[in-house]
Amino acid sequence: MDNAIEVRGLTKFFGSLLAVDHVNFEVKGKEIFGLLGPNGAGKTTTIRMICGMLRPTGGTAVIAGFDVFQKPQEVKRRIGLVPDISNLFGELSARVNLEFMGKLYGLDKKTRRERIDQVLELFQLKERQNDLVRYYSKGMHRRLTIAAALIHQPEILVMDEPTSGLDAQTARLVREIIINLNKEGRTILLTTHQIDEADRLAQRVGIIDRGHLIALNTPEQLKNNIQGTRALEIKILNGVDQRRWIPIIKEAEDVDNVFLAEGKIRILSKDLSQIIPNVVTLVDKHGGKIENISVAQPTLEDAFISLTGKSIREEPLSKEEDVRRRMSRSGLR
Amino acid sequence: MKPLTPFIHSVWIAENDLRQSFKSVRHVVWSLLFPIFMMFTFSFRYGISGPDIQYVRDILIPGIVAMTAMFGSINETMSIVWDKSLGVFDRILAAPVSSTSIIVGKTMAGAVMGVISALVLLVIGSSLFGVTWSNIIAILVIILLASFSFTGIGTIISGLASEPREAMMLSNLLRFPMMFLGGVFFPIQEMPMPLPYVARALPLTYATEALSSIQTGGSSIIFLDSIVLLAYTIGTILFGSQILMRIMTR
Repeated sequence: MDNAIEVRGLTKFFGSLLAVDHVNFEVKGKEIFGLLGPNGAGKTTTIRMICGMLRPTGGTAVIAGFDVFQKPQEVKRRIGLVPDISNLFGELSARVNLEFMGKLYGLDKKTRRERIDQVLELFQLKERQNDLVRYYSKGMHRRLTIAAALIHQPEILVMDEPTSGLDAQTARLVREIIINLNKEGRTILLTTHQIDEADRLAQRVGIIDRGHLIALNTPEQLKNNIQGTRALEIKILNGVDQRRWIPIIKEAEDVDNVFLAEGKIRILSKDLSQIIPNVVTLVDKHGGKIENISVAQPTLEDAFISLTGKSIREEPLSKEEDVRRRMSRSGLR
Repeated sequence: MKPLTPFIHSVWIAENDLRQSFKSVRHVVWSLLFPIFMMFTFSFRYGISGPDIQYVRDILIPGIVAMTAMFGSINETMSIVWDKSLGVFDRILAAPVSSTSIIVGKTMAGAVMGVISALVLLVIGSSLFGVTWSNIIAILVIILLASFSFTGIGTIISGLASEPREAMMLSNLLRFPMMFLGGVFFPIQEMPMPLPYVARALPLTYATEALSSIQTGGSSIIFLDSIVLLAYTIGTILFGSQILMRIMTR
């Protein structure tokens, strides 16, 4: 199977700000490809260019054999886009929204009716199909947004942060939908800033940070690549904020990275035999008691931190990232 | 792709826009209350009985009709800014629809809204103040031309404004001076210098003048006014679509 998406040297400047810097990757036909990166990394900008909604400063993107910048209409016909915010017409009913999308994609009346019934059924929205969309819950919004992207039965589905802002249950439902759509033979390109989501859904993951694609592989390979690195998890007693210990442990010799993961302090290092006594001594010196210590398998998050030198979550945006994020959303938002 | 497809896309975009506007009844009622209120206020100001009613019939009502077209068109076109801020504009951009179709669709919606609003005020004003119109075709042509020229202004505002609040401010900046200098409430002849020149730069002035001339029996000025309105329409729509095109193909 040919590549569904081929991105070569894709670059985008917003003024003097480099949002996407010579990004190269390809999405194989019928795979789920995840673009993983923190907020403001350039994910949305990249997919807006792929979908023909933003003109790149340099580089090319070929989708289903068509260059998006020469044949944008051909590309748009083959892509279904699920944006990160649910952008439906709130003053219209679900059915009228879908009706409008069907018209824009050139479906005739009979096909429209069939497809609309089909997706409403699939996403369990049939009962509320005539209600105004603005009265919908967040989960219903999300389902309808995905439904709207499927009305023209695109071969490629591009999803920007498909589960962000959803409750756990709806997020699970959306993930199931994604897997099913992929099983039906659709190629899926999704972006996410949630590592476990990339790990669970994507067959291959590209890690993007500050506009650069810094790694691309299967989740397993990404984890294996940092195999030399081991992870140690400790929990310090007395219910004191564990976060307070991070700068202290960072001081210990041979520690590559320290961060908080699920209430435990996670320490990455190439040499665990050295690190354990070091950390124990250090904690003791600062008056702490270790409640629990264990060696863990490297996760995708560990890989991400080794590659980018920072955690994907719990970190406020730097000023540059904030500007980057806002630039990619402004103009048309 | 069939040759008519781009135009059909425009029609659907316009239909979708208008459908939303008419869906919220409040929106329509509110936007029409303002000109109705202005009509009553100023008819009392000029007098509704005796010889004074002539001013109301000849100038105020035609002027209000033109002004309503202005409010209707500009408001409708500004939906572009709302669409942008809500992200629904992206939905249209991601679809296989040309930028020209989008602009034509939005322009059609603006013009239709202008014509409909103006006609409502025409009916209300005429029946309340006993205005009889001699040439309904000419009236429709002028209202249509005026609506298109105001839509052009709306597209310029939508292109320049990055968010709805800015668009509201920009549009008020243009609409309110236009409303009071467009010869609707105060005759241009009575304005102190240099206001008549300002008035002559505004499309509303020509729309009011043309409608007023049709009401008073017609004169050659109507043709001239139509030409000016047409020039305005072409100019503003070309300029407005240029700006919109730029933001759509960033």
